[in-house]
Amino acid sequence: MDEKTLRSIIEQVVSEFTGAPAPATSTPAAAATAVAPAAAPAAPLGDGEELVVTEAGPAERGTNPREVVIALAPAFGGVINKTIIDLPHADVVREVCAGIEEEGLSYRFIRIFRTADVGFIAHDAAEYSGSGVGIGIQSRGTTVIHQKDLPPLSNLELFSQAPLIDLETFRAIGKNAARYAKGESPDPVPVRNDQMARPKYQAIAALFHLKEAGLCDLSKKPQALRVEYR
Amino acid sequence: MDSEELIRQIMSEVMANLNQDNVTFAKKDTAAPAAAPSPSPARADRVDKSQYPLGEKAPEKIKAANGRPLTDFSFEKLKNGELKAEDFRIAPETLELQAQVAESDGRDSLARNMRRAAELIAVPDDELLEVYDALRPYRSTKAELYAIADKLEKDYGCTINAAFIREGADVYEKRGRLKDSE
Amino acid sequence: MRSKRFEALDARPVSQDGYVKEWPEMGLIAMNSPADPTPSIKIENGVVVELDGKKREEFDMIDTFIADYGIRLENAVEVNATPSLELARKMVDFRVPRSEVVKLTTAMTPAKMVEVVGTMNVLEMMMAVTKMRSRLFPANQAHVTNVRDNPVQIAADAAEGSLRGFAEEETTVGIVRYAPFNAIANMVGSQVGRPGILTQCSVEEATELALGMRGFTAYAETVSVYGTEQVFMDGDDTPWSKAFLASCYASRGLKMRFTSGTGSEVQMGYAEGKSMLYLEARCLYFTKGAGSQGIQNGSVSCIGVPAAVPGGIRAVLAENLIAVSLDLECASSNDQTFTHSDLRRVARSLMQFVPGTDFICSGYSATPNYDNMFAGSNWDADDYDDWLVIQRDLKIDGGLVPVTEDEVVRVRNKAARAIQAIFRELGLTEITDEEVEAATYARGSEDMPVRNVVEDLKAAEDLMNRGLTGVDIVHALVRGGFEDVAESVYNMLTQRVAGDYLHTSAILDEDFHVISSVNYPNTYAGPLTGYQISDEKWAQLSNIRQAISPESI
Repeated sequence: MDEKTLRSIIEQVVSEFTGAPAPATSTPAAAATAVAPAAAPAAPLGDGEELVVTEAGPAERGTNPREVVIALAPAFGGVINKTIIDLPHADVVREVCAGIEEEGLSYRFIRIFRTADVGFIAHDAAEYSGSGVGIGIQSRGTTVIHQKDLPPLSNLELFSQAPLIDLETFRAIGKNAARYAKGESPDPVPVRNDQMARPKYQAIAALFHLKEAGLCDLSKKPQALRVEYR
Repeated sequence: MDSEELIRQIMSEVMANLNQDNVTFAKKDTAAPAAAPSPSPARADRVDKSQYPLGEKAPEKIKAANGRPLTDFSFEKLKNGELKAEDFRIAPETLELQAQVAESDGRDSLARNMRRAAELIAVPDDELLEVYDALRPYRSTKAELYAIADKLEKDYGCTINAAFIREGADVYEKRGRLKDSE
Repeated sequence: MRSKRFEALDARPVSQDGYVKEWPEMGLIAMNSPADPTPSIKIENGVVVELDGKKREEFDMIDTFIADYGIRLENAVEVNATPSLELARKMVDFRVPRSEVVKLTTAMTPAKMVEVVGTMNVLEMMMAVTKMRSRLFPANQAHVTNVRDNPVQIAADAAEGSLRGFAEEETTVGIVRYAPFNAIANMVGSQVGRPGILTQCSVEEATELALGMRGFTAYAETVSVYGTEQVFMDGDDTPWSKAFLASCYASRGLKMRFTSGTGSEVQMGYAEGKSMLYLEARCLYFTKGAGSQGIQNGSVSCIGVPAAVPGGIRAVLAENLIAVSLDLECASSNDQTFTHSDLRRVARSLMQFVPGTDFICSGYSATPNYDNMFAGSNWDADDYDDWLVIQRDLKIDGGLVPVTEDEVVRVRNKAARAIQAIFRELGLTEITDEEVEAATYARGSEDMPVRNVVEDLKAAEDLMNRGLTGVDIVHALVRGGFEDVAESVYNMLTQRVAGDYLHTSAILDEDFHVISSVNYPNTYAGPLTGYQISDEKWAQLSNIRQAISPESI
């Protein structure tokens, strides 16, 4: 990430914290008026399409054992629309969903407001999921596959180094989550490690997180989401 | 208070060096609760840092939670099956002695932790993990935490821990960290 | 047109690091945020009614806990009324005994402590650490992990690490369900290299405790605490649950230290505009009050955050200093990578390397960094000789000793065969002779055959479900013909009955004698006092394998 991008993020966050209204915290009612017409589903991948995420009332706990719930952190696909390595959130979502679909399962989106911590977000996803398996994704890209009977800060699989998560990994994450949901024991997505990610990205990751955490609302329950491309 | 403690400490060290370890200058400690649930060791059995490490210098004072003396432990006995996993558990009396060592070296809060721990030895592993989990944020209502405190007190004699959990529950309530009672 | 000088500078490793300007409103500032409170304390009827500018009714959970358990109240009013500069001078001056300083530091409020250490430059802080470190002599800790969670490699790397001098070895997992295998391999391997090494497996809090209860680890360190209430909640704990957890460990005869560090609160999004060091001071007074014998601190995994702002590395030294000044064992980080620059990483480590801390690194990577699952360490296996040469250059004991290739190959092989025997005797997955051979000579996981992960995870789960414990490991080692290793594991289990190693800064020597601050307190009081490297030790540290003897020419 170059200095310019960094500067723009900082400026954006500063303006938010100095009182400017945060664009993504609109109420469900207000958001409902902004629902975009569904885009053509067959649009080519990564063709500059934007993700349009709309709240659709309080999320419900699923009963379908063949679903995986994907929980988004407060800023994902809203105030922030790219991961820490500039992967568009639209592509991230598409890959995770494709992974789940490959295994013949369905998916459902919710957004978590009470926390920006990916462990809790993923655990909430698992609790709302009919299969008991969920995925939590932070704006910077950090992702967890979780199961509801595990402690919140434990996990099935954790992808803690956001700069190392590419689109292929996101697809594999979706696929593995679906396989856990079916009761299988898949080979975990190979763990990657880059000791130089921290020197380069940690302070920037903190900026992402400050922004995300600034959108938290402790009293707001998880919301169902409509996710469209435009 | 500090100089008084220091004098006591020096005196007890001097006496210990004179091999008169049944004489103690330890402060009669009314505030420090006894190591429940077992009877607290007699005053003459009090120790201080001059006898540390206890396992080397005073092994006759140490036994496992099930009563097996440390002097009875050997690798041979483990090999022939006489020693089992359940033998390798620390006794409340041992933690009380270690708490006394910590106090004699000026570490009161470490000693407090050891005394809380002494009570918890009797609590089975699974139940202990459950209590820890219940104490995490948003896991329990105030009534549930009070019930856990009561149970620990009644079933295992954990009076210090029970008071500690109730105190925590009151703070959780004040700070909105209890489970939603929806 | 570009300056060639600047083009060259831009290409330097130091320019690859991320730096940010201070942002005090969000707590992105190392020390002295405008929002940091002014020190104050008021006590009525033995109860703290005001702490660092807050009235009791405004206290959050951390304030409440510190006020009720974390400060020695007898002399608190007097100490906090003493000018900070006077207190700082006492901390630095080696003529003022450590025990006298502890009476002052433990009576300060967190804000007062920050003000006191804030008057010192790094050299003065290092002087103070030299005196205030709790144990007489320093030691070091290793990280033993690999990117594939390969247990054979973990055993071999742990054996080499303990042979090289680490007193503690810590493993963690890439995949959580591997935890029992990693913990066992680390424990057994470490005992092969040198009996008496303490081992841990860093995982989620409750899981970590469960592994300790089984006898697969001897201590725990990943018991994280935070300086703001909201971040404490995001860490899924409260001051009361963490203090209770500390007691749970002691009740099972397990050593334990907390972990905290500058930058964690801002990293997790809720710093309340306070400086990183002030929030860390709160963590440390909480740690003291909860009765933990020690702390791992020095920013730890958040090091990229303080390192990105001005004065951040000074603040990291300051937090170690506060820890030791509160009479806590200090495992002083120097673990995680924070820079591309070799110059920067050495400069950062000298702050603890020179004065010496209880564990200079709380995770020197015993593997090449590509295998370090704490996202890379500031020092790794490829730096072993650099560390040894720096010790020799400066005549300092950084906890490691020179070793020969033959010895290393021997202990790696034995550890790999020992874990092979355990897996066979306990009916777990197979470890082949090919894997043993590979682990013996491996540099890292790239040199290891790939294992069947699904089968391993099933076997690890099965091991837990069958209720196997450390005692079963001992029996398996005996049956497998590793009687000496079995006896070492037995001796480690026996430690938890006596509980001597629950005391501050405890480690074990190769005969399982406990060495802690109780029987080996730091006695530094100026030149030629405190820990001095013996002639025998100096001969050992001097004798690096690269040195040519004059007689040979």
